[in-house]
Amino acid sequence: MYTSLGKAGLLLVFTLLTHATMLAQFTVSGNVSDSDGFSLTGVSVLVVGTTSGTVTDIDGNFSVQLPANSEQLRFSYTGFAPQTVNVSPSTSELSIIMKEDIANLEQIVVTGLASSIKRSNLANAVSTVSAEELTGVTSQQTVDGALYGKMTGVNITQSSGAPGGGYAIRLRGVSSLSGNNQPLIILDGVYISNVEIPSGSRNASGANAGNEEGASNRLADINPDDIESMEVLKGASAAAIYGTRANAGVIIITTKQGTSGRTDISFNQDFGFNTIIKKVGRRSYTADQVEEAFGADERAIFEAAEARGEIFDYEDEIYGEQGFISDSRLRISGGNEKTSFFLSGSYRDEDGIVKGTGYERLSTRLNVTHKFSQRLKIQSNTSYIRSNSNRSFFGNENDGGLSYGYTLAFTRDWYNLFPDENGNYPDNPTAAGNPIQTRDQTRNTENIDRVLQGVNLQYNVLQKDNQNLKVVLNGGVDFFLNQTEVYVPETFQSQRGLQNGFLGVGKNNVFNVNYSAIAVHSYYTPSDVSFTTQAGITYLNFENDFVYNQTTQLIPGQQNLTQGGAQSITQTLSSTEEFGFLAQEEVNIQDKIIGTVGVRFDKSSLNGDPNKYYAFPRASLALNLTEFDFWDQSSFVNQFKPRIAYGQTGNSATFGRLFTSLTPVGIGGQSGFSVSGAQGNSELEPETSTELEFGVDVGLAQNKVNLSATYYIRDVKNLLYDRSLPTSSGFGNEIRNDLDLRNTGFEFQLGLNPVRTANLDYSTTLNFWFNNSEITRLGIPDGESGDDIPSFVPPGAGFGLGLGTFYIDEGSPITGLWSNGENGPEQIGNTEPDFQFGWGNNLSIGKNLTVSALFHWRQGSDILNLTRLLTDIGGTTPRSSDDLEGFIEDGSYFRLREASVYYDIPLQSDFIRGLKVGVSGRNIFTLTDYSSYDPEVSVNGGSGLSSNLEVGPFPSSKQFYFHLGFNF
Amino acid sequence: MKFTHALRVTFPALLLLFSLLSCEIEEQFDPNGPSINSVLSNATPSELNLLVTGIEARTRDGFSNYVTASGTIARELYIFDADPRNTSDLLGKDETFIDANTFYLTAPFSSRYRVVKNANVLLEAVNNTTLISADEADGYRGFANTMKALMLSQVLDLLNENGIRVDVADPENLGPFLSKEASYDAILALYDEAFTQLQGSTFNFTLSSGFTGFDTPEEFAKVNRALSARTATHAERYQEALTRVNASFLDLNGDLSSGPEHIFGTGSGDILNPLFKAPGQSGDQLIVHPRIIANATSGDARLGKFRMRVSSSSVDGLTGDFETALYESVTSPIDIIRNEELVLIWAEASINTGEYDDGVTGINIIRNAAGIGDYSGDVSEDALIDEMLYQRTYSLWGEGHQMFDLRRYGLLNADYLPIDRVGDDVFTQFPIPLSEGQ
Repeated sequence: MYTSLGKAGLLLVFTLLTHATMLAQFTVSGNVSDSDGFSLTGVSVLVVGTTSGTVTDIDGNFSVQLPANSEQLRFSYTGFAPQTVNVSPSTSELSIIMKEDIANLEQIVVTGLASSIKRSNLANAVSTVSAEELTGVTSQQTVDGALYGKMTGVNITQSSGAPGGGYAIRLRGVSSLSGNNQPLIILDGVYISNVEIPSGSRNASGANAGNEEGASNRLADINPDDIESMEVLKGASAAAIYGTRANAGVIIITTKQGTSGRTDISFNQDFGFNTIIKKVGRRSYTADQVEEAFGADERAIFEAAEARGEIFDYEDEIYGEQGFISDSRLRISGGNEKTSFFLSGSYRDEDGIVKGTGYERLSTRLNVTHKFSQRLKIQSNTSYIRSNSNRSFFGNENDGGLSYGYTLAFTRDWYNLFPDENGNYPDNPTAAGNPIQTRDQTRNTENIDRVLQGVNLQYNVLQKDNQNLKVVLNGGVDFFLNQTEVYVPETFQSQRGLQNGFLGVGKNNVFNVNYSAIAVHSYYTPSDVSFTTQAGITYLNFENDFVYNQTTQLIPGQQNLTQGGAQSITQTLSSTEEFGFLAQEEVNIQDKIIGTVGVRFDKSSLNGDPNKYYAFPRASLALNLTEFDFWDQSSFVNQFKPRIAYGQTGNSATFGRLFTSLTPVGIGGQSGFSVSGAQGNSELEPETSTELEFGVDVGLAQNKVNLSATYYIRDVKNLLYDRSLPTSSGFGNEIRNDLDLRNTGFEFQLGLNPVRTANLDYSTTLNFWFNNSEITRLGIPDGESGDDIPSFVPPGAGFGLGLGTFYIDEGSPITGLWSNGENGPEQIGNTEPDFQFGWGNNLSIGKNLTVSALFHWRQGSDILNLTRLLTDIGGTTPRSSDDLEGFIEDGSYFRLREASVYYDIPLQSDFIRGLKVGVSGRNIFTLTDYSSYDPEVSVNGGSGLSSNLEVGPFPSSKQFYFHLGFNF
Repeated sequence: MKFTHALRVTFPALLLLFSLLSCEIEEQFDPNGPSINSVLSNATPSELNLLVTGIEARTRDGFSNYVTASGTIARELYIFDADPRNTSDLLGKDETFIDANTFYLTAPFSSRYRVVKNANVLLEAVNNTTLISADEADGYRGFANTMKALMLSQVLDLLNENGIRVDVADPENLGPFLSKEASYDAILALYDEAFTQLQGSTFNFTLSSGFTGFDTPEEFAKVNRALSARTATHAERYQEALTRVNASFLDLNGDLSSGPEHIFGTGSGDILNPLFKAPGQSGDQLIVHPRIIANATSGDARLGKFRMRVSSSSVDGLTGDFETALYESVTSPIDIIRNEELVLIWAEASINTGEYDDGVTGINIIRNAAGIGDYSGDVSEDALIDEMLYQRTYSLWGEGHQMFDLRRYGLLNADYLPIDRVGDDVFTQFPIPLSEGQ
């Protein structure tokens, strides 16, 4: 049998060549090619039972020296099924034909800070999304937006349809109520920031909080095209080794690297456009209907407007743009045996469906790997990103007259809101602002300058035939300056007489540093049992400095912070330090039984005791039954792997929750301070997630059919949450640490490759998953009536029980929508989908034509549609929605999320090696009963309990593209 | 052996690296503000004064909701703004009712109690410091307790029969909701405690210019009496109200506009007058209820508080032709209590204690100031109460009185008030907020 080795093993293969100084040896040489007869370069050739071997050269040839007692050689290559062949001193020339690895069983999956494992040995349902799946079908705006429907166990919430994103990734249900509900994202070893930084537009619009401003999340800065693969560790059992940051899962992103050999140059250009997925429509009116709804005076105004031909469609006026998209990407990669590089540059310029909105991103990346020696390798990944976005105003507000969704609800189509010949915008007689003026004269922008730097150093301390020890040092820096600007002119309706012009400028620094040092020792027994031991430390330090400057009472026409009568500054600082130890042992018995145990100890400045270590253990076991001798190797079933995994992760409170502070106030030029609304708790502990996951992976018919089923039970204990205090205490809320939540769910994946001929290849993947949650413990003692545990409305998670809100009630799901009923609060909906279903299809016809389509079905998932409440009051709800009762609607949908057709133009050119053209689309069609713009919606941004509340969102768009790609 | 040799070199090196890096994480402090504990032991006078300013500044928070929510219920005004619940819940449109977890209640409730908390922090800080004299300590206490009583009285105005919590010093162990009468007892006792503390005390702090003329312990004590007289009328304890109003800055021959104010400004940390609405603005406007316009007396100078709109405003089936003109600009002050109200309290207390002549005298002071001449109706208790309420409606429109005035005379109902839409209801009080866990 054979020994498994990861990427690290490949490296070892190089290094060990020189150490093979055996006495009795023999040599085997040969050639490796694929089934079409093309030579394969870089195929790993390993002498089974040792760590020595070689790789094939550029023509697929190899030559390897074997100890006299060697019997087998193992050939492995990414994307192909491995082969083991018997050899003896009498073996002469080998000719190996590698078969493609249809089920990706040989794929190397990164599962830890310095560890990886091949998929067939994995004990968890780790989802991997390749570059091809991520960006191969259509042009992607953001990395997170590109994921939906492509893997199981994920629920993606869209908080804004604006170009530049606004997404939240939720893995296996809600894991936290206090904000950190987003997975940890590690890009090439750098812990990257995915914060949403509000622009302060709430100070002009009257929105309740920063999370209602619809800011984008900073994963948007990553160019999806730089990504080689993404691994998603969905639950605690897979992510335990990441400890206290991994409660919501971990996403490991690996960017592309150069390979030695010919220098590859590719250039891709996409052109496309954005257009609204669906217009809700405006209420139609006849003169009689106007009189009935608004009175006789209004009828006269309506009839006069009708006579002038001035009945407008303001929805079309605002949301009706076709936003042009251009995305250009240049990649150059290459290198020699010592040094390889990957250089990329991309520029995306995208206009939104509202005039003036848009997103622009320039990114460059240089990844360099250098081998100092056979023992020492250093890798540096550097990226610089600059982006600008203009997001305008959407979502909830109060009296600012800025949010389009709000003002359009109250705007009547028979009033002319366009500027007169002098450029003066009329007031909107029925709302707080004129949306045409908002569109033309206000700004809400975000600019980012960001540098990501990761350095990875691997040193092979020891290399022997049966063991090796390497040290992996990893360091990362993520720095960005986020600059926001909100401008509303003094002539704007809601500004006049009040703020008289508004300028808010944010200057926000984020500086994250992390490093780790890990030693990995591998030991192989002659009977092909391997032990991999790793131990190490990790450290991170996140520093944020957010400064928000605001000037109102502006001098007319001025857009400078100095030029106004009322100025204020708000600074918010935060600093987080964390330190951890980890140790893990993996035992692999002939690829038959793979067991892992590990533990991580973490301490964090966010905990009450910053120097107390919390332990996060894990254990897992996978059985590859088909590798056992009793299994008939020629049977229909090629893989049958039951697996079970257990693990724990944690999550600390957000910064500042340990303190009860005084906030500054002023009156008449005098300063004072006041208690703030949030009562801190200096004894907070991390919330923990404990997950037990089990499942089975099955491969049938030479792995043309792959099936993976997983069930998980995920208990989140001692959840950190804000609870509304009796406000008679003077505090609005307190942070507590005593709520338990259970998520259970099922994930099923079926991959089929029913047609696989030289001229026709059809593969399809079906993903099915659901999650259910239940609040299992509310630890608040009720002082008045003994053991009763009162249910409560979590702060900031809805619009009160009058309209609808999330509600924390023991025994109920945490995702329920509640409102006042006859006997007190009652659950009226559930935002959790009943199930979701993703269906990906790939069809290759001949050598040149590929067709892909990804369908996504979300069933269930109720939405609180308060946009319709507003349009009802404003008299603008389309008549087709008149029969709807209440504001909870079913958010089920079926969507063609991505589809494309590509054609490789056959060329006989030495200069251009490949030329590809294609057309594609995103969100091409949607079937849904939901009456508003898009059932993927969240008015409260991405954190906490945020999804499925709608108040005047930026309507989602669909995109269509034309693609052109060159390879040189 | 090579392996053990490598171990010998590497592992100590790694251990050294590990121990170097596993340095202690320092004790955390809040980089964004002082902690509450810093003022609770041996506070300096400047820290105490910052708390005083904090108390004064925060009394303005949530006050606009107190005024507009109660004014909507009393059919005094409509709130036409972004929030639909202002025209539905408060007026009982269709099946809606006042929700125990919505801003029109929670904002005034929590902001009043926030000030109470600040006052309690000040009281505790004063007790725990040796850096001030006994007279200065009493000055702080007299101020803190007066403001605390004012805040509690406003909460009781909203909650009425539900009563309020008075003992809220310990957040972990809040006192019970007292009955309405016990709540009034407690608030009036608190005013009296403050009044006693103010006697002979010293103010070691400076109030804002809103308290000009009322910023010494002697003058501030008269504000204390004035505010307690208002509470006594709400409690229908008219004899007590009369005693209190007589000890206040009531001046039957003086300027009716005299009194302490909430001031507003554009300075850092300051707020703008939330009850000012830009002339002609739609979408965020206070509309005068048509009944106020319909019942107006022509020539009444107080009608200047209402501005006719170019076009009538209609939202959610409600229509009005007039908007508020109560405040001139966004930095106009809002009266906390003024002589005009004290005259009306004096008149009301007099009428209810059988001193009809004084009642008529008070009413005539108000009528003549409004330019509508002396009262000529019956001099009977019922007639005088009707007249007094009428004058209160126009003298104190849009200042948070009407709902409580109508209620204590049994007029807060659909028999007395017009119903604008079929199915609307007239509510008489607010529920206890959901977060109180009652």
